[in-house]
Amino acid sequence: MEQRLGSTWRMTVNEKKFIETALLSDLRTDGRGPFDYRNLTIQFGSEDGSSEVQLGQTRVMGFVTSQLVQPYRDRPNEGSLAIFTEFSPMADPSFEVGRPGEFAVELGRIVDRGLRESRAVDTESLCVVAGKWVWSIRIDLHILDNGGNLVDAANIAALAALLTFRRPECTLGGEDGQEVTIHPPDVREPLPLIVHHLPIAVTFAFIGNESTVVIDPSHFEEAVMGGKLTATLNTNGDVCAIQKAGGEGVMQSVIMQCLRIASVKAADITDKIKKAVGLDGGVVEVAHERYESGLWTLILKNGGVWLLILLTNWSSKEAFCSFTLLHLLEKLRNKTFVLVGKAAWKGVNNLSKEMEKPKMKTEDRSINQDDMEIEIHSSKKDGSSLGDNKPKAFTGGPSSWDPYSKGVNVDELKASLASRAVVTPKEEMDTSPPLKPATDESLKDADPAPSSQETAGTTEHTNEAKTLKDAVKPKHKRKKKKNLHHLFETLLETRLSRCCNVNLLCSLELAIVACN
Amino acid sequence: MEPKPSTTPSSFTDQQVFPGDVVLDLSKMANQTIKLGGGLRQDGDVISVMKAGKLRFSKPNKYWVESSNKRYVPSAGDNVLGIVVDAKADNFLVDIKGPTLAFLPVLAFEGGTRRNIPKFEMGTLLYVRVVKANTGMNPELSCMDASGKAAEYGPLKEGFMFESSTGLSRTLLSSPTCPVLETLGKKLAFEIAVGLNGRVWVNAASPSIVVLVANTIMKTESLSPVQQKIKVESLMQRMR
Repeated sequence: MEQRLGSTWRMTVNEKKFIETALLSDLRTDGRGPFDYRNLTIQFGSEDGSSEVQLGQTRVMGFVTSQLVQPYRDRPNEGSLAIFTEFSPMADPSFEVGRPGEFAVELGRIVDRGLRESRAVDTESLCVVAGKWVWSIRIDLHILDNGGNLVDAANIAALAALLTFRRPECTLGGEDGQEVTIHPPDVREPLPLIVHHLPIAVTFAFIGNESTVVIDPSHFEEAVMGGKLTATLNTNGDVCAIQKAGGEGVMQSVIMQCLRIASVKAADITDKIKKAVGLDGGVVEVAHERYESGLWTLILKNGGVWLLILLTNWSSKEAFCSFTLLHLLEKLRNKTFVLVGKAAWKGVNNLSKEMEKPKMKTEDRSINQDDMEIEIHSSKKDGSSLGDNKPKAFTGGPSSWDPYSKGVNVDELKASLASRAVVTPKEEMDTSPPLKPATDESLKDADPAPSSQETAGTTEHTNEAKTLKDAVKPKHKRKKKKNLHHLFETLLETRLSRCCNVNLLCSLELAIVACN
Repeated sequence: MEPKPSTTPSSFTDQQVFPGDVVLDLSKMANQTIKLGGGLRQDGDVISVMKAGKLRFSKPNKYWVESSNKRYVPSAGDNVLGIVVDAKADNFLVDIKGPTLAFLPVLAFEGGTRRNIPKFEMGTLLYVRVVKANTGMNPELSCMDASGKAAEYGPLKEGFMFESSTGLSRTLLSSPTCPVLETLGKKLAFEIAVGLNGRVWVNAASPSIVVLVANTIMKTESLSPVQQKIKVESLMQRMR
């Protein structure tokens, strides 16, 4: 027994007094203010759905996996979400292997409540065959280092992992439509989960007798604190969960103040998570470029999103305004979208220099022509509704699909779910006739456009079903390392409508590089 | 590394050595008494290394191996910072970051008798000296120096203690004064107690100074002396 005693961390009387005295002058032992978070870094592993979060000294790893299971009896058309925590003894000498202790269970419950009760993850979309097969999502949280405030770090790790997780696509087949075939990732692109909003947990510690409140307690502060409160909020201002288990009593006014502070912090952290996952429309990188027989191929990368653009007859690249592109990418993020047809984008002359700033691979780009047509993979088979003389949108997810905008159009969501993740809306991007780089105007135009698209979107779904079925060409089109040229030609000729997840484009990039 | 027995141990001094290295061949050295510190072992006629680290020598004849760890291996004569865990009839149980708890006899204080046993509550921080430290036994401590005087040993009041590596402690205790402490000391007034077990205690008039000193020491551990000076200057600027 003495051996174990020898390795636990002990608190001295001096430290307790010191922390309390220092807090009276708003100073914490690591130099932070009472409402400052420590440095947050989010990193991702090589697999989809694995993340590692570092909050100061605290490190947590999150890992998401999925499995097809039978649904619960009382919820036959909902998938399930389960959180498992593992408190490794390397994180803290007081953690033991084996059954999770009380704190481990509490942490698991807080994260679980934040995600499940607030319906952050859409469980209905996880249903494959109602009553028989649903996807069960399992989140494993491994605590690697306990530097205080494990709840917040674990929550962020879970969210980051969920956002980057991709589940395999499966289709129904067989005579009665009950057989489920799960497609491996190289056959069909795996799909992201539908996450409506990000519930962020913010922990407060109450230290001392005057109810001094600090946010993001460190290891020292946690040992000294009298009580703890965790509030889970999202950027829409909803309180998803509150946990205050025992400890000192606090006044109601203090709790309200904490919630206010928490909402500010939640916005900060949400931004950081989105940036890390690549959802913020930050830097647009041109990952690859190639010109071949009149066809320009561009692979653009924005964080985790890849975009393939085929351009014919375009003028210098300056015309492609970064704003426009970012905005479009925002819509396309993590969504499946369907190849449709040509969308002519005439009248835009100069691509913005943004394209040249980020790193570009070699390729010769000295083409100067007046007309530019962007072959955009959109979901309409007939280009008619797109119009001819207007620069067309990239059709990707409807902006109302963007889970991070205010609210989600429920009808739209249901309709699109029904057609199994086929998204078709288009935006009309109006760049003014003068041959100038698209300005903010186009951006503004695009924004209100979504609302008009909703109706358009829903009506298209019925068309979609047909177009998809006869459009989805057999798998040979999807193989990586297929001759890219051949692929492009086929695309150009037949104007396939296909379901093509954005991530597929990664593989195309490989193909391009390989062809080179 | 191949064992290279050498008559001149200076070839190994201040060098990285690994367990199994032979650093001294006693048969070649006549009539010399050598004191071995931690990390060295006598194997018949040769002295071999047991712990990885730097071989150190101090005149006239003391050799030891020095390495920086987060855990402390108690050795006699060290001044360490301990935390009282329990009080028994005969001694206090004190945690000094070693493999086992250490015993501090109740009478090991200057002028200590059965009548005036000090009352230390759990969690009191003490500056103590390690008297005996043999492997397998609980180390023995004392709050007196070798001659029986109190000499700054005893409980430390107020202030802030943080833990770090043994290497840092040795750097802080080195003479001439290490750059960090020198630069900090020029502008700020503070009190510091360094234990060889990696614990450092800082006290000053205002909490902000304490926080500054503590964080500076922790952050500059791995920097070179010049870098340390620069970093300290910049940190102090920021605090002003």
